[in-house]
Amino acid sequence: MKPKTRMDYVELYAKKLRNEPLLFEQQRMLIDSQIIASRELFRNMFGEGKDFEKKARSYLKARGII
Amino acid sequence: MNGSGRGYVIENGTIVIQRKLTQLDEFVQKFVRILEKHSDYLIVSGYVSISTGRTRGTEDVDIIFPVAARENFRNLFEALTENGFWCYQRDNWQTVYDYIKNMAAVRFATKKEMFPNIELIPFDEAKKAKHFEFTHPQKIRICDFEFKIPEIAFEILYKEMVLKGKKDIEDAKHLRAFFTDIINQKKLKSYKPLMEHELHEA
Repeated sequence: MKPKTRMDYVELYAKKLRNEPLLFEQQRMLIDSQIIASRELFRNMFGEGKDFEKKARSYLKARGII
Repeated sequence: MNGSGRGYVIENGTIVIQRKLTQLDEFVQKFVRILEKHSDYLIVSGYVSISTGRTRGTEDVDIIFPVAARENFRNLFEALTENGFWCYQRDNWQTVYDYIKNMAAVRFATKKEMFPNIELIPFDEAKKAKHFEFTHPQKIRICDFEFKIPEIAFEILYKEMVLKGKKDIEDAKHLRAFFTDIINQKKLKSYKPLMEHELHEA
C-alpha cells in the first residue's frame, strides 16, 4: 500500500524499523538536532550566567508553564 | 547491539532496542540513575514511543513516582541539584515538596538549560490506572540504559482511549506497528475497563 496520510507514514516507518535498525540513526540525528537547537535558542535568550534560572522562571511563568 | 537485523530483541523479558543513545536518552539516563536510588518510578507517555523509534521531537519526559515521604524527597531533591539539575518551580526542596504533597507535578532540567525537562508526577493508590501501570512494569534497554515503562499493550490503550491527542494516536500507531509480534491481544482487551474507569474519573 502506498502511504498517503501522516498516519500511514508513521506505520510504514515503524514497520521498517522492525527489520532495519540502521534507520534508528536518522531518528537519532533528528532528536539530537532538536536538543542542540533548543539549547542554543535559550542560551541566546537567557545567557549562561548565574541568573539563567531566574530569567527562565520569568519566561515559564509568563507562559503559564509554572 | 546484537546484529540480529531486528529493531528489537527480547532478552529475559527485557525489550532491547537495537540503537545508540541519543542526547535525550543520555539526559533521561542521568536523571533516572539518581531517581532510582531514592524512589521507584515509571517512564510514561511520549518518551515510551520515542525511545522505541518514533521520530518526533519532545520537550518533556513524564515520569510517575509514588508520592514520597518528606525526608525521602529532600534526599532526592538534593541529589538532583548536586548533580547538575535545577527545578523549574523553586530552588528549595521544602517549597517543591508542597507541590508533591498536593499531587502536583514538578519539572527538572539540566542547569543552564530549559529543555528537555523531566516532569516528575506523583501519584498514590487512588489513581487506579497509574497504580496499575506502575505495578506492571516492562523493562527496556538501550545500550547500557535500562529503565521501566508501562506494558506496551497498556500504553497503547492509554494513548488511544484516554489521552487521544493527535500525537498520542500517532504514538499508539507506532507502538502497534513496531511491536506487532509481541502485543498481547487478550491484555489489550482486558485493559479496556481500566481505561473506561480512568475516563470516568477524569
